[in-house]
Amino acid sequence: MNLLAILLLLPLAGFFITMASPRESKVPYLVALATTLITFFLSLGLIGPAGADAAHFSSVIDAPWITSPNFHINLHMGVDGISLWLVILTTFLLPIAVWMSESMIKDRPKSFFALLLLFEFGLIGVFTALDLFVFYLFWEVALVPMYIMVGAWGSGKRGPAAVKFFVYTMFGSVLMLASLLYLLSLTGTTDYIGILTAFSTGHLTLTSQQQLLIFLGFFMAFAVKVPIFPFHTWLPNTYTQAPMPATFLLAAIMSKMGTYGLLRFSLTMSPGGAQRCAPWIAILAIIGIIYGALIALMQTNVKRLIAYSSISHLGFIVLGIFAFNQQGADGAVYQMLAHGLSTGALFLLAGYLEQRRGSLEIADLGGIATPAPAFATVFLITLFASVGLPTLCNFIGEFLVLQGAAIAHFTWAAWAAVGVILSAGYMLWMYQRVFLGKTSESTESMPDLASRDWVPVVPLIALMIWLGCYTQSFMPFISSATNNILEQTQMNNTYQVRSGSKELAEARHAR
Amino acid sequence: MPANFVPAASDYLRLAPEIALTIFGILIMLLEAVAKGKRTYLAYISLIGIAAAFLLNLAAYSDPGPAFQHMIVVDAYATFFRALVLVVGFLCILASISYLDREGAQGGEYYALILFSLVGQCTLATSADLIMVFIGLEISSIATYILAGYLRDDRRNNEAALKYFLLGSFATGFLLYGVAWIFGMVGSTNLDAIRVALESNSGSPRILQVIAVAAALIFVGLGFKVSIAPFQMWAPDVYQGAAAPVSAFMSAGPKAAAFAVFFRIFMTSFRPMEDRWIVLVWGCALATMLIGNFAALLQSNVKRLLGYSSIAHAGYVLVALTAASEVGTAAAMFYLASYALMNIGAFAIISHIAARHERFVKIEDLAGLGRRQPVLAALFALFVFSLIGVPLTGGFFGKFYVFEAALHSNLVWLTVLGLVNSAIAAFYYLRIIVAIYMHEPGEATAEIGAPAPGLNLAIWASAIGVLVLGIFPSALLKFASISAAAFK
Amino acid sequence: MNLWLIPIFPLLGFLLNGLIGKRLAKPVISIIAVGSVAASFAFVLFTLSQLMPFSAAYTEHYYTWFQSGFLNVGVDFTVDRLTAIMLLVVTGVGLLIHTYALGYMDHEGGFYRFFSYLNLFMFFMLVLVLSSNLLVLFVGWEGVGLCSYLLVGFYFTEKFASDAANKAFIVNRIGDFGFMLGMLLLVIHFHTLDFGKLALAAAHAPVESAIGALTAITLLLFVGATGKSAQIPLYVWLPDAMAGPTPVSALIHAATMVTAGVYMIARMAFLYDHTPIAMHVVAVIGLLTAVFAATIGITQYDIKKVFAYSTVSQLGYMFLGVGLGAYSAGVFHLMTHAFFKALLFLGAGSVIHGLEGEQDLRHMGGLRKYMPITCYTLAAASLAISGFPFTSGFFSKDAILSAAFEKEPWMFWVGAITAGVTAFYVFRAFFMAFFGRYRGHHHPHESPLVMTGPLMVLAVLSLGGGFLSVPKWLAPTFPLSESENMTPMIISVIFGLCGIALAWLMYVNKPSLAESAKTAAGPLYTLVYNKYYIDEIYSAIIVKPLELFSKFVLWKGVDDTVIDKGAVNGLGHLVRGWGNLFRLFQSGSIRNYATWVLAGSLLIIFVLGLVGGAQ
Repeated sequence: MNLLAILLLLPLAGFFITMASPRESKVPYLVALATTLITFFLSLGLIGPAGADAAHFSSVIDAPWITSPNFHINLHMGVDGISLWLVILTTFLLPIAVWMSESMIKDRPKSFFALLLLFEFGLIGVFTALDLFVFYLFWEVALVPMYIMVGAWGSGKRGPAAVKFFVYTMFGSVLMLASLLYLLSLTGTTDYIGILTAFSTGHLTLTSQQQLLIFLGFFMAFAVKVPIFPFHTWLPNTYTQAPMPATFLLAAIMSKMGTYGLLRFSLTMSPGGAQRCAPWIAILAIIGIIYGALIALMQTNVKRLIAYSSISHLGFIVLGIFAFNQQGADGAVYQMLAHGLSTGALFLLAGYLEQRRGSLEIADLGGIATPAPAFATVFLITLFASVGLPTLCNFIGEFLVLQGAAIAHFTWAAWAAVGVILSAGYMLWMYQRVFLGKTSESTESMPDLASRDWVPVVPLIALMIWLGCYTQSFMPFISSATNNILEQTQMNNTYQVRSGSKELAEARHAR
Repeated sequence: MPANFVPAASDYLRLAPEIALTIFGILIMLLEAVAKGKRTYLAYISLIGIAAAFLLNLAAYSDPGPAFQHMIVVDAYATFFRALVLVVGFLCILASISYLDREGAQGGEYYALILFSLVGQCTLATSADLIMVFIGLEISSIATYILAGYLRDDRRNNEAALKYFLLGSFATGFLLYGVAWIFGMVGSTNLDAIRVALESNSGSPRILQVIAVAAALIFVGLGFKVSIAPFQMWAPDVYQGAAAPVSAFMSAGPKAAAFAVFFRIFMTSFRPMEDRWIVLVWGCALATMLIGNFAALLQSNVKRLLGYSSIAHAGYVLVALTAASEVGTAAAMFYLASYALMNIGAFAIISHIAARHERFVKIEDLAGLGRRQPVLAALFALFVFSLIGVPLTGGFFGKFYVFEAALHSNLVWLTVLGLVNSAIAAFYYLRIIVAIYMHEPGEATAEIGAPAPGLNLAIWASAIGVLVLGIFPSALLKFASISAAAFK
Repeated sequence: MNLWLIPIFPLLGFLLNGLIGKRLAKPVISIIAVGSVAASFAFVLFTLSQLMPFSAAYTEHYYTWFQSGFLNVGVDFTVDRLTAIMLLVVTGVGLLIHTYALGYMDHEGGFYRFFSYLNLFMFFMLVLVLSSNLLVLFVGWEGVGLCSYLLVGFYFTEKFASDAANKAFIVNRIGDFGFMLGMLLLVIHFHTLDFGKLALAAAHAPVESAIGALTAITLLLFVGATGKSAQIPLYVWLPDAMAGPTPVSALIHAATMVTAGVYMIARMAFLYDHTPIAMHVVAVIGLLTAVFAATIGITQYDIKKVFAYSTVSQLGYMFLGVGLGAYSAGVFHLMTHAFFKALLFLGAGSVIHGLEGEQDLRHMGGLRKYMPITCYTLAAASLAISGFPFTSGFFSKDAILSAAFEKEPWMFWVGAITAGVTAFYVFRAFFMAFFGRYRGHHHPHESPLVMTGPLMVLAVLSLGGGFLSVPKWLAPTFPLSESENMTPMIISVIFGLCGIALAWLMYVNKPSLAESAKTAAGPLYTLVYNKYYIDEIYSAIIVKPLELFSKFVLWKGVDDTVIDKGAVNGLGHLVRGWGNLFRLFQSGSIRNYATWVLAGSLLIIFVLGLVGGAQ
């Protein structure tokens, strides 16, 4: 049986088993943990096949699913160099989320674990879908459990936060659906490969007008999900009010759904539109980078601060994608992984902090390094990873993104690099106020990391260093895949240029 | 052709479901008269009746064709809608048993009325002649009027029934008037005959225009039944006022049947003048979606909210009609099926939570359902997400198919606006989810028990239906498009 | 030949002490810490002996760090004559300072933490000098910055310490901003960051056409240098960085890290040679910094602050040197400065150590008899920095000034005068500390041998280090300028001696003079004493406005109000408003509804029938 299929079915099976298991017991936790761990180890098996030819899709599922007189939808999924690492990132972070939840979610844990598994199912689907319809489907499937997690287990004004999150995303989604349907009505298929071949063989040509419409549809969905300035205002509240494991997943993986979509679909499905909008989007990305950083500078709550810092970091990813060159794309993908690890780890540690102190208001903290030196050290490493210190993961991503941006427009790089300065500013300032200085009576007895707490921390840090020091064990996969996408974009785009809208007009009349 | 006044056996077979329902209905009335004590068994009899009708319906499809001098016609399309309304009836009766017990209103006439109303709806589904349309509409409606006011001593019931009745008959008047005009112009009320007449009629715009007016009158009559703008007012009041299971029935069965005939008339008789009515339907579709969704945003009463949402959904179906294509018709059929299931499910659950005399029908009364009754809550969530249109539910695929059809006919803007509407709709549907999962239990959910077996069965059945339509839609799609092909 | 062994020892030391140091006994920690550095020092000596006579650069490739498109970055190490000097300075001086620190930190908390950081620093510093491409150099560059952050903030419970640490890191980040952009431009123009390839490309580059780009690149890289090597306008972090323990000030903020900028420019000489404008900028900035910092040095009372400003000033000299194209002179001064400045700091440390942490010169005096070794070693250092004939500083400073004398006479004069000022303030400090009568209230005592030992070694180097002629050694790379002109040397020596004499006059012979001079200077004095209020100005025109802007305009203003409350929720309210409107139709009265139905029907009849579907 196809490995990818197993990876999809495992979390789903786990979901049902967890649902069926007794409420007041450790069983749901154990089931969830086992499922996610097995999924992770199995997912490593994807590397082999993908390694053979990372530019194209391996361990492909392609089963007819919905047949209707005027269109067919296949359950078409596969893994290339980009999906590969994102899937593995997902399967790697999920056990950690489960681990976190075990100690952080006291209320109705069973349902929470079940939702985590459903969420994993959705994410793996999103990163491997090769059919727009299937992609959309998993996109929504991943949204619902997260929405419920935020709303039902969140803190403070969680209800409104959750609704805002859902409706905001929903608006994006329906516009994507519109583009999807539009493509379907033009091409008669929603198959990614199918449409690409239709492009390259010239069976399908879109006027720049149509391309723009299609692009904007996809873009809105992804822009909201990432989020790109100015569609980001759902993020701070959602991140802050969500329960820590949910925030962890939101920041570490869910934001990558958007960036992944941008790279995989909005570039290839409407190359002309993408290139027409690239400058504007790049500018939005740069605004996001600086804007997020500046606001983070002034935050008084650790969680909120990291939330705004993510806006800044995600800006880099978007900038890299719309630089339209190898370095930019590679950097963007690498930054997706790096940001997943570093920000994820930051939220994990923030979770520990919350558990110990019961608050993440910077004012309530301070001097923690004295009672909890190990904790402080770990946090510092993670923090430096996220400010892009060389030898840690984020540096490569940021450098390549900046390189790509510089090749496209040097001024872009110059502005974006300002974010690098600021990131050091807000992070170190936060660290100083939380960990350094004299202890207060509330923090002097703060316990250091227990052996249990180390379990998720160690692999995270190990990976941060690995990604930072030996990039080449990941990069070739990414490069060949991004290279492929860029070629596609170029080719399709040049094709667009060659062919006018004449054929299309005929096609219209034919219908 | 020489008129043959002795109907052939096949004619009876093609009318068999209606006949069976009628027989069972009368039977129940009689039993009711002689019944002592508990009358629940009457419900089971009615269920048997519906089941029988369902089988007969399939049997009738084994030998499709017109009957009774083309007054009715049995084709895939008709069979589809007959089956649909029968399923609706079946589920609603299942959901009603415990409700009536609770209200102490257990009675045969309730079930009889549902059966009769089903007779009318089946007639609508099969009718090939405007006269039959009128008859079917009346049978169905009158039964439903009474159902709406079934709980005699409940003020809300009475008001609902009265409104529904007065406005309904007002609208039916328009319909009848339109039929008369048509007969005057064409000399026939047979749907195909009208089409032929329109096609053969070359020039003479006068005639065309008069027929158009007639069409408009019919449009009004049917439009009222399916509660599309600008005839949607009654729906929220009636759905809110009537007993929850009845609201479920009204929002699913009669609506589906009325849409069935709506499509049949406009896709056959008035197809030749589609360029005239498409613009109109376009406008009505948009208005219906907007009014339904926007007005629902501020509702605090769940039944009323679902009333508005049913208006909005009628709007989506109209989008399919605007497409004016086989694909569109098929999409509408699929949509109505999935809508019926998810709506019945939602209403059924509400009927359970509402408790005696429907005290708890506010959104905040749902608070904490997720803690008290996790399973029930999960099912409710499923129905709501289906109403929103989240993938893997029938609701999503229905929308997908409808808008796909719309784009197929190049209705780009209607599609975009429609989709945006569905996003706005998320707002008010989510308030239900928020209440269920994100608020602490309140008075309503404090000591809520598990639903009775019948109700439970209804809920689970519709839930499974919703999921099946969402995950394996192909079979139904195939059948729908075959049926739609009839309108050529 | 395994160059990677050189940095690996300190790394291991860091890992050992960092991970399990908490459980180790002090002696063990000490052995690990010092031993690792000693090991790499030994290995450096071995390596260099192997590589003699350095006919060509020796490179080792370990692995490809990453490859993206045309950009391929490898982790490679190179040793050539320039690297050789840096290696010796870093490991040699590093070793001495590690040893010294054993004594200095003996009764400090976090002993293991301190030495693990110090070892980590050695690792990154060695990576920095060994790297054979700019990006790996940047790794070291950032890494030493990190260690500087950790060590400056070593006493992290003190606010001033953590503030200083943040300041150090962030100001450096501003420099790195330039460095980063410089690298990006390099890649755009040369498609590589490898020194060898770059040198080749630069040699064959059509210089005239690319001059603009090259100038931009070199200037941007220099921005990075001004951050790391504390030049105007980014020098502000270095004086504050004295918040760290004194050995740190000696190792990082005097001898090694802060000279990285000079090293980098010398390393990239092949580019700078093409860009006269950039060169000029470097020289001018260097000179200005030298003067500026020196003047501040005159007025400070904190002994470490005095030496800190002197460091800034001396670094200015080095940049003056490289800016004038006298790379070897700059590197020469880099080396000698490492000797005597390290010594100055360690001596100061010894004094502070002897006075239980007293740093204010006004509470010292007459320490000559309490701590003789410290006194005489410091004297050696002071002579060296003042360019007293035949001390190390004399040769290196002369090399720079004579270069200036040839190319830009005015620079020479400014430099020479600054030399005098330097001599003055260094000896001012020296005399205030060791002469006159003791003004403090502790019980001064000489430091243990483990501390005085390194002092003595460094004293020897400060005095004799000048005879290791770096310019000759580097001649193959940076050709010697054949000038036997004695004038600049004589002039600068005279200035130096005057400075010393003046200091003697004012602080030993007639201390009253100092006070009267101070009052005479009046407002000028206060201005200089307050470091020209540069920190205040920066905070007023950059930091505060940025904070206010972020908080009130962006966060509260744009984010909360305009986008979220305005656009997003506004849209929501708009929609609800419409909802309300539609709800108005729902009056609930049948008559009302009937009217609507009628109106609607008429409308439809009109549209469909009469207008004809609005055709």
